Amino acid sequence: MSQRDSFQNFSVRQCVWTVVLFALLSVLQLWSQSPDLPPGPVQGKVRTACLECHDSHIIVQQRLSKAAWTKEVDKMIKWGAVVDAADRDAFIDYLSTNFPPDKPAEPMSRTSSPKKPDHP
Amino acid sequence: MISRRDFLQRVSGAMVAAAASYPLLSWAADNAEVLVPGKEGMIVRSARFLDLEMPPEFADSWITPVHHFFVRNHMHEPSTLDASVWRLTVGGEVEKPLTLSLADLAKLEPHTLTNTLECAGNGRGFQQPKVPGVQWGKGAVGTARFTGPRLRDLLQRAGLKSSGKHVMFRGLDEIPGKVPAFIRSIPVEKATDSDTLVATHMNGAPLTKHHGFPARCLVPGWIGAASCKWLTEIKVLDKEFEGNFMKPAYRMPNQPIAPGGQVNPDDTHAVTGLNVKSIIAGPADGLLLRSKAVHIHGAAWAGEADVVRVEISTDFGATWRPAQLSKEHAHYAWRFWSYDWKAPKAGDYTLMSRATDNQGRIQPQSAEWNPSGYLYNAIDQVKIHVAA
Repeated sequence: MSQRDSFQNFSVRQCVWTVVLFALLSVLQLWSQSPDLPPGPVQGKVRTACLECHDSHIIVQQRLSKAAWTKEVDKMIKWGAVVDAADRDAFIDYLSTNFPPDKPAEPMSRTSSPKKPDHP
Repeated sequence: MISRRDFLQRVSGAMVAAAASYPLLSWAADNAEVLVPGKEGMIVRSARFLDLEMPPEFADSWITPVHHFFVRNHMHEPSTLDASVWRLTVGGEVEKPLTLSLADLAKLEPHTLTNTLECAGNGRGFQQPKVPGVQWGKGAVGTARFTGPRLRDLLQRAGLKSSGKHVMFRGLDEIPGKVPAFIRSIPVEKATDSDTLVATHMNGAPLTKHHGFPARCLVPGWIGAASCKWLTEIKVLDKEFEGNFMKPAYRMPNQPIAPGGQVNPDDTHAVTGLNVKSIIAGPADGLLLRSKAVHIHGAAWAGEADVVRVEISTDFGATWRPAQLSKEHAHYAWRFWSYDWKAPKAGDYTLMSRATDNQGRIQPQSAEWNPSGYLYNAIDQVKIHVAA
């Protein structure tokens, strides 16, 4: 293989790996934009069912009673959240345990500032 | 075996990839931040759907720059918006249904209005007991100059029938799952008001995507939800639209109820105009001041009414003193105000602001609690420590 061919092959490989790395980091970035849900028996299922349509900010900022969480979970199931009927009560327990009315407010995050805005 | 040249190439390749990915790694490392180009420094209430709140300290310009203007989305923003193929239809109880392009809208006489837009749920986070929904603080509000043809002109051109009682708006929001579409209606009297617009511009520039490009309703003095974004359909109905976002959502109890109480959905009315309200933009809550001279300032608004007075208390409401209202004012727009106060001695203080409008409405000590936390307008307050 000539040095030129080797260089071209290397460039292609390099581009592919760079693209793969960017893709992985982009996914990581999307995950990192939202607070993680706390550990619990249905953490993974809540993540799958709820974060399909919205991110976790809207969950972790709620401070609701069990009755209010029950209404929310039932509303979301009606609106298309895929929750196994056997998991409904566990979802309500998980959310009402982790986000009850007496828990201090969630810290607020800000949008980042990579550059000066140039908008009107 | 790897040659020296291969080794160097692989190392340099890895370095190139690492250098290129550094910005992404930086973002990923700081999990408190969300990148929304053109919307820097905003409070993130939701990253998807996008709900961004203006921090109170950004209320330092009577016209809010677009990059500081709050964003409220119920659904996903439209993934594609092509102005050249976008169309707006006007139908229902009209003689001649219309289909308009953006160029058609541009041919109609434009009208510009300075309007304070506030989300009905602004301040929901202060409600006690807590209610579900976006837990907005003080900043789901902003003031902008909106420009576009009057909705009345479109309705007249279509031949509004006398049977038309409500005007319904549909946007291009992308609906997740089985969520009901974000469709609402306003009474024909408000729709034909000379100040109700189909806005195409905000602060002199075409609407940005977050604010409803290419066209949105602008229903002045009313809750933000009335001003449908990414407008694509106007339909005149013979009665109020029946859908989730008209009932049970966006309704207030007809009678005051005890905090935490239940409401009969049939004993409610649609939320329309904004309340009288003021917020303190500075000093910031929790600030430590090195001087006894304190410049207190903020904004006050009252929907369709005009703010006539803002008062400040530094003694938990025992006495109130009038704040100076700024010269800039417009019907439907907030009024900036300021008050220069000298703290008598070092210590902790609570600063309070209270607005009054020309309808005699006064910002109350505590807001009227309701199950969705709409129209929160309790007297605003910040706590400061004067160390001088």
